[in-house]
Amino acid sequence: MKRQIPLIIVIGLGFLFVAHTFIPSKTSVDFYDWWVSWSKAISPFAVVLGILSLFMVHGTKIQRKAPNWQYSVVTLLALVVTAFSGFAWGTNEGTPFLWLFANVQMPMSATMFSLLAFYIASAAYKAFRAKSPQATVLLLAAFIVMMGQVPIGAAISKWIPETAQWILNVPNLAAKRGIATGVGLGMTATSLKILLGIERTYLGSD
Amino acid sequence: MNLFEKMKNIDRRYIYLVVALCIIIPLLIPFNSRTYVTDPTANLYKKIDSFAGKEDKAVLLSFSHDASTMAELFPMEVSILRHCFERNIKVFTICFSPPAAPLMAYALNVAKEDYPNLKSGVNYCNFGYKPAGLFLPIVLGMGDDVAEAVQTDADGRKIKNLEILKGIRNYDDLNLIIDFAASAAVFSWITYARVRFGANVAAGVTAVMAADNYPYLQSGQLVGMLSGLKGAAEYEKLVDVFAAYEDTEYPNGREFSPEVVKDTWVPIMSKKISYDSQGSVVQTNVDLPYKFKQARIGMNAQSIAHIMIIVFIILGNIGYFLTKKKTAEVS
Amino acid sequence: MLEFISNLVAVLLTLFIFSFLYKDNPFYRFAEHLLVGVSMGYAIPLVYINAFIPFVYRPIFLEGNFWLIIPSCIGILYIFRFTRNLSWLSRYPIAFGMGIVGMGVPMSMHSSVLVQMRNAMLPIDNINTLLIFIGTVSILLYFYFSKPHKGLYGKFTNIGIWFMMVGFGASFGYTVMARISLLIGRVQFILGDFLGLIK
Repeated sequence: MKRQIPLIIVIGLGFLFVAHTFIPSKTSVDFYDWWVSWSKAISPFAVVLGILSLFMVHGTKIQRKAPNWQYSVVTLLALVVTAFSGFAWGTNEGTPFLWLFANVQMPMSATMFSLLAFYIASAAYKAFRAKSPQATVLLLAAFIVMMGQVPIGAAISKWIPETAQWILNVPNLAAKRGIATGVGLGMTATSLKILLGIERTYLGSD
Repeated sequence: MNLFEKMKNIDRRYIYLVVALCIIIPLLIPFNSRTYVTDPTANLYKKIDSFAGKEDKAVLLSFSHDASTMAELFPMEVSILRHCFERNIKVFTICFSPPAAPLMAYALNVAKEDYPNLKSGVNYCNFGYKPAGLFLPIVLGMGDDVAEAVQTDADGRKIKNLEILKGIRNYDDLNLIIDFAASAAVFSWITYARVRFGANVAAGVTAVMAADNYPYLQSGQLVGMLSGLKGAAEYEKLVDVFAAYEDTEYPNGREFSPEVVKDTWVPIMSKKISYDSQGSVVQTNVDLPYKFKQARIGMNAQSIAHIMIIVFIILGNIGYFLTKKKTAEVS
Repeated sequence: MLEFISNLVAVLLTLFIFSFLYKDNPFYRFAEHLLVGVSMGYAIPLVYINAFIPFVYRPIFLEGNFWLIIPSCIGILYIFRFTRNLSWLSRYPIAFGMGIVGMGVPMSMHSSVLVQMRNAMLPIDNINTLLIFIGTVSILLYFYFSKPHKGLYGKFTNIGIWFMMVGFGASFGYTVMARISLLIGRVQFILGDFLGLIK
């Protein structure tokens, strides 16, 4: 029963939504409005999951004095201070809350992802090998697209950006359409499996 | 150990140093470069421009990214806002994730600084952050009534009372949605706003996502697309050459023309002067603040970095094949 | 002054993260943990102000819509996710949200499959449309595993691989561009916004 009732809810609501999509009527609209108002009331509590998870992971580390537990104190302190600043002084422009976002969260988050530039350059040198004709074609297409995007490519010859656009518009389009259609069918199949109660992993294990 | 073997085993930190220098030097030593404008960018520009001065047409910008990809997406957001402000096009902004909210306000603030006469609620309106759980209700609701679906803006005002809403009821009027994302977020707009209500959808995406979107451009599900920093640079150029263009013949900007795009370029490092392909000087209003040429300055460094990556791949492969040949000879 | 201090903090934290390129170190770890905490802490007040107040507190306590107590209680069940014996209760809020999949099936079928199929069947009037047609069909057949890829059929599906390699190459080229752009953004921040060296 711990699984069956949630499954019945998914299947029941799922079919009502199928009906709602195809049958425009007042009942259908009322059902949708009801679902929306209930979903809205449920939604804020999802954030509790993230907070609890973070507190459990880092709280346990601190409690057990695990290696590098001091950094877990930084995480929890940062969480509490940021949240507190939002509650105490509001979330509008000019508040400490937004200062923390603009000068702490924003630069670090952007920098974290920019490290990938270094890694991709290192991989380009150490790993990208034209070991087969297919890999050679891949690298050649990449070279043309790379040069076609930058001003220096256009400065060398107008054919470079034009060839890059042709690659994107023709062979790339065909490749991505073939893959996307397969993915689309796969997604639809997965959704159908959820709707029919065959796919249940989203409910977690017993 | 020969040279190539030594190079093969080089400490990765030397590679990192080369990467850093290839980015830093071109940014410190600025130079002018031409920007080749692609069709997906030009199509988006034309679509937005077709709303110029119309009371019953508006653009909705949806911010679906966080600060991590701001380097690519922020310049395109500022350029599109600048275009709307230059051409008197109503523009709305919305986001469904908390980290996007300050980025959205920041983009609006940066773009509107140069337009002191613009008023929130009259020329533009920031709908603000709406919880993700409201995505579908708002996207589907706007198909019937924008004011009813969105209710309040970022300042807590009831939007149905705002002047900007005059003439804007549903997707027939809010006729273009541009989603800025580092993910496939735009497909939610295609799936719900386009399939159900026929809304026009466009994307401003990080370059990683760009190649995957070409089938949707060809099918018309996306009316246009800006791809990464290059897309932003292209849009910056288009706004300079058309929307923000000023001379005696065109005191308030000029219409898009493919011939002019091809022939005109804006030297980003000079002030108030532009040159056409024949080298004759054309007067423009180009006294560009850094924020309106940020992507094009970045593209200079991008040029050098792409060459660097290609050289790395070629060197790596030369080393690989020479070592392979040597191993084959020994055995 | 405040702007200088703000930028200084941002630059220092940026450099802390970059220091990882040399090797793992306490500055990087500090910044990494700080980022996780601030990111989570940032979401809490926003969700409280933009979701809890308007959709739970105001309708129930100020407008007297007591029916909404039921979904609020369902939402609270999320908390049991981390308990050993009652974690099954957290399935209820998940199940309620998952029901929307019924709307997603027909709509995503339309946008991701049908429209794409229709555009793959346009009249072949030039070499490019012919190439797109051959590429799409050969890739779709390449992923069809119920028939062995042998003989003429195998040769045709092999064409699909070449198209995919070009497609992956295009994606790779764009990915390089994206990663480099992110670094350019950070360098522009340090050299331009902070040091004022880019005009």
